[in-house]
Amino acid sequence: MPDVILALLRIIFLGLVYLFVWQVARAIGSHVGISVRRKRREGTKVLFVRSETQQGVEIEVSSATVLGRSEEADLVLEDPYASDFHMRLVAQDSGLMLHDLGSTNGTYVNGRRVTAPTQLRRGDSIQVGKTVMEVR
Amino acid sequence: MTRRAEAATIVAASGLAAFGVVLVNLAREGGVDAQVGLTFLVFVIAFGGVHLAARAWAPNATSLLLPPVVALTAIGFLEVYRLDSGRAGLQRWWLLIGASLAAVTLALLSTHTTSILRRYRNLTLLISVVLLLLPNLPSDWAVPLEGLELNGSRLWVVFDLGFTEMRFQPAELAKLGLVIFVASYLADHQRALREAHRRVGPIRVPEPRQLIPLLIAWGASVLILIWQRDLGASLLLFAGFVLLLYAATGATGYLVAGWFLGVFAGVASFLAFDHVQRRVVAWLAPFEHYQDEGFQIAQGIFALGTGSLSGAGPGLGRPDLIPNAATDFVFAAVGEELGFAGTVAVIALYALVVAVGLGVAFRSRDTFRKLLAAGLTLVFAVQVLLIIGGILRLVPLTGITLPFMSYGGSALVGNMILLALLMRISHEEAV
Repeated sequence: MPDVILALLRIIFLGLVYLFVWQVARAIGSHVGISVRRKRREGTKVLFVRSETQQGVEIEVSSATVLGRSEEADLVLEDPYASDFHMRLVAQDSGLMLHDLGSTNGTYVNGRRVTAPTQLRRGDSIQVGKTVMEVR
Repeated sequence: MTRRAEAATIVAASGLAAFGVVLVNLAREGGVDAQVGLTFLVFVIAFGGVHLAARAWAPNATSLLLPPVVALTAIGFLEVYRLDSGRAGLQRWWLLIGASLAAVTLALLSTHTTSILRRYRNLTLLISVVLLLLPNLPSDWAVPLEGLELNGSRLWVVFDLGFTEMRFQPAELAKLGLVIFVASYLADHQRALREAHRRVGPIRVPEPRQLIPLLIAWGASVLILIWQRDLGASLLLFAGFVLLLYAATGATGYLVAGWFLGVFAGVASFLAFDHVQRRVVAWLAPFEHYQDEGFQIAQGIFALGTGSLSGAGPGLGRPDLIPNAATDFVFAAVGEELGFAGTVAVIALYALVVAVGLGVAFRSRDTFRKLLAAGLTLVFAVQVLLIIGGILRLVPLTGITLPFMSYGGSALVGNMILLALLMRISHEEAV
């Protein structure tokens, strides 16, 4: 057996050992409470399903996002019934939380008006004025 | 990691063992033989068996312990096979026996739970002490159970079956029994031991009476040292006990006291026993005593140096030049043939096993289970540190085995049971 091939096989063997160690270490790291790679916060997507001007727009909420009619909101809602700072969406480990910021015309989740912070699930619809969004 | 992923990693690591055997075969120009398939099969059956036993009797057990252990066993087996294929064949049998006993442990504890270990701790202690004393049986008497002295230490028991004889080191099992006893004792007396009413200068010390168990453990390990000349087991026992005492109480005073007692015993035994002197001389100046005491350590250092970064390749180095390479010095053999990269991987895998073991301990709510998991893991860790440290000349060499990697039936069986115990504890705590 030529030396080159043996040397190559040796390196492959070591590579496989390290691949194994890496895989196991990742699993164990999450068990012990250390994440090997910084966990990328998975953003939840919100799609505008009905809107005069913004239909089809999709936003990704990866931190706290304020939605409202004001130019200073993180995301401008182009809807005359929306308040300047209408609501805040907060991405948490458990999913999106919706906080109504005391809006005049209210925020409706699945057709029901909400005032307290509300946990959103996939497929929930959020209605502000005539704009309807869906949690993806 | 899910159970399914655990099964996949078991197969993958078994594949590593088989691949290692292929490499050794290729290096020998002998062509790939049936050993490859046999090795793969035995690994899958043994560890797959433990996996199935866990599914049946400890379904909530952590699935993170088996993967690194299989990989360690695979790397160790590769070197044992490379050094002595006859012993490798025996090691495969021991692996199957060890896995069966691990499964039996899981099955027994599934009906009785680990609390039975706590309840019968005095019986456990008695059995352990008897096991420890077995090698002191006379070597030439009518009973077919005899003690045996090898390499200057009296560690072995020979069970003469007439047609063949079985040798084992009872200390490997006694070790587990002693940890169970100490964990149970400390769980019951935790509060009393934690309270430190007296002050000596700036240090708070517990009542002298509370130090009695510490002194008993110290005395016991010194006695083992004198009777059986087993430096490794004696150190292991004492270090394990002091660490567990610290784990139970969180009182640094025990560490300090243990340290002083240990140093005192070390110096005294250095002055009193020539076998301890030889060990220390070999540790401090192996090359000056190359012809005699230092030979093994010097050869180990040569092996690690020859191995360099990625090693000579399995079957291509000369680890056979190290005395007892397959047992005490398997780490140096890995260093020669898989290099620095191989030894780092081995240390990483041990660190992972210890991380999972301590993780199980941290998560346990029940004091006994917490201390048992911590104790088993700490003894395991100290054992790895002592032997690897001995080879790297960080501490004097003690003739203890490298868990899961060294050739040796009793050690493998003992460690498989340790694995089963840890898995069982994690199952009971994962509710």
